[in-house]
Amino acid sequence: MTKYRRELSNGQFALLLSVPVIAFLLMVMIYPMTYAIWLSFQEVSFFGGFRTTYTGFANYQEALLSRDFWWSTLVTIRFVLLSVVLSIGIGLALAMLMDRAGKWRSILGTIIILPWSVSLYGAGVMWAYLARGQTGVASSLINLIRGTNTSETATEISLISGRHIVDLLALGNAWSIAPLVAFFLLASLKTIPSRLHDLAGLDQLTAWERFVHVTLPPLHYSLFVFTSIAMILSMKQLDFIYVMSAGGPGDASSTLTYRLYELAFRQSNYGLSAAMSFYLLFLTIGSALALHFLWGRKLENA
Amino acid sequence: MGRRLLRCAGYGFSVTVAVVWTILPIYWTLKTALFSPVEAVAFPAPIFPLHPHLAAFLNIFGFGFTDANGQYFMPAGQAPQVIHGLVNSLIVAAAVTAITLVIVVPLAYAFGRFSFRGKTALLMAILFSVAVPPVSTLIPFYILFIQLGLTGTKFGLVIVNLTVTVPFVTWMLIGYFRNLPPVERLAQIDGFSRLGTLLLVVIPMARSGIAVAAVVSFLFAWNEFVFATQLVNGTDAATLPTAVSGFLFLQPQPGLLSASLWISIVPAALVAYYLQRHIASLGMVDAFY
Repeated sequence: MTKYRRELSNGQFALLLSVPVIAFLLMVMIYPMTYAIWLSFQEVSFFGGFRTTYTGFANYQEALLSRDFWWSTLVTIRFVLLSVVLSIGIGLALAMLMDRAGKWRSILGTIIILPWSVSLYGAGVMWAYLARGQTGVASSLINLIRGTNTSETATEISLISGRHIVDLLALGNAWSIAPLVAFFLLASLKTIPSRLHDLAGLDQLTAWERFVHVTLPPLHYSLFVFTSIAMILSMKQLDFIYVMSAGGPGDASSTLTYRLYELAFRQSNYGLSAAMSFYLLFLTIGSALALHFLWGRKLENA
Repeated sequence: MGRRLLRCAGYGFSVTVAVVWTILPIYWTLKTALFSPVEAVAFPAPIFPLHPHLAAFLNIFGFGFTDANGQYFMPAGQAPQVIHGLVNSLIVAAAVTAITLVIVVPLAYAFGRFSFRGKTALLMAILFSVAVPPVSTLIPFYILFIQLGLTGTKFGLVIVNLTVTVPFVTWMLIGYFRNLPPVERLAQIDGFSRLGTLLLVVIPMARSGIAVAAVVSFLFAWNEFVFATQLVNGTDAATLPTAVSGFLFLQPQPGLLSASLWISIVPAALVAYYLQRHIASLGMVDAFY
């Protein structure tokens, strides 16, 4: 009986704490979401005052029928897949380096976390300078090696091209996400007893066998969580793309987020933009759920 | 012995690669800020500035600079906007941090420590809010703010920033609160009220996690670009990123832009050491199982 009453008051206390907060969340989350849903069924015009006309599913249909929408979907998928693989791969590598750093760990850690705290627009500018032919690192290095340092003899190498801009964006995106991944993986690495490494040494495991059988298993759940996080962050990515490539060259790197932004704020096509934003949301949540059912659920049951 | 030496060399090499990978984009930009005018237009761009000077850093704050050869560098025409942007960014980021913490700490505490009806659904709602692309919340707010006359105000920008920080930071803190030792019963025996337990016992225990959450919210608001471009660009409330974007889009000034970027990294660099020590204590991995 006493237990029951304590539980109840726990619940009441929790409610008391969270009711004002949830009211606020409703205001800042439910309002824009409902408004966006409503907007996606309207045709908005600004001329002669703000007016909207109900058009049913016209915006959703228009999106599905446009070549641009499907192109952006493909670009998004390519960008996200590459970003996730690179972020996790680089994050894991950085974590293993920090794990073995001994007394230098804090210094190495302070350096490694920096990209994560650089703003995404800042990262966009930095990567654009780095990749461009005129100011870029590729031009500088190749001409340094060849000893051609006057502008007449030097060759210009730009890393920005329609074919590979998405790959480059994913690399820059991974530059900014990987530190976050690295620090959480490092925390899981610390849970491996050093005894296991000694045993692996006794069994004369190769470095690769040791990586697969000793290092990876305790990281499994963290890897799943950070694959999901990296995926969601990349799906939402706009600042970095906006500054580094502005969807270009042409529309080679117009991800869905960039397309949405352009439709709404350059072309004032709010209805279509809102409709597309729901396709993006479905894609994000759909992929997160797929990941959960294909990978995460097995880990929880195990 | 030879193998051990080889392993050490391999490790040193890997660390060098990691450091270069991390630093290169940041260094490449700093270098541009330090270039003399001749180096700035040189092609190919030199890898090290041979005659570094601080003109760009002084120019963006409205000071002139004369170098050793007597060449004078004029203060940037946008200096007032940059300084104003710096102040606005500080105000917006501080407000976002304070409001986020006031909202998030009780919420994450309630979610991390108690079970109550509807908890799973509410957790799902938070996770869902994290997945919403900010662009799609920006459109409704933009239209609402036009109608309410809130575009170009810091207030409006703070509200929109909160839509991102609140769900994300809540998620970061739930697992952290759950992993704290169970002190509620002991506090109760010692005569603390429930609110007293939260304020006087749990919050002091959780200070490092809360500090990291504060840094994360501050950095998000400090660094945010697209919301600010749309809502406050060109107005009195323009934040640093938008004030600086003039150097990028309107009238390209790589040196001044690079210097401004470096200024914007300073707060982050100051807390980097603290952040890397404590960030992993946030329970992002175990908030949801």
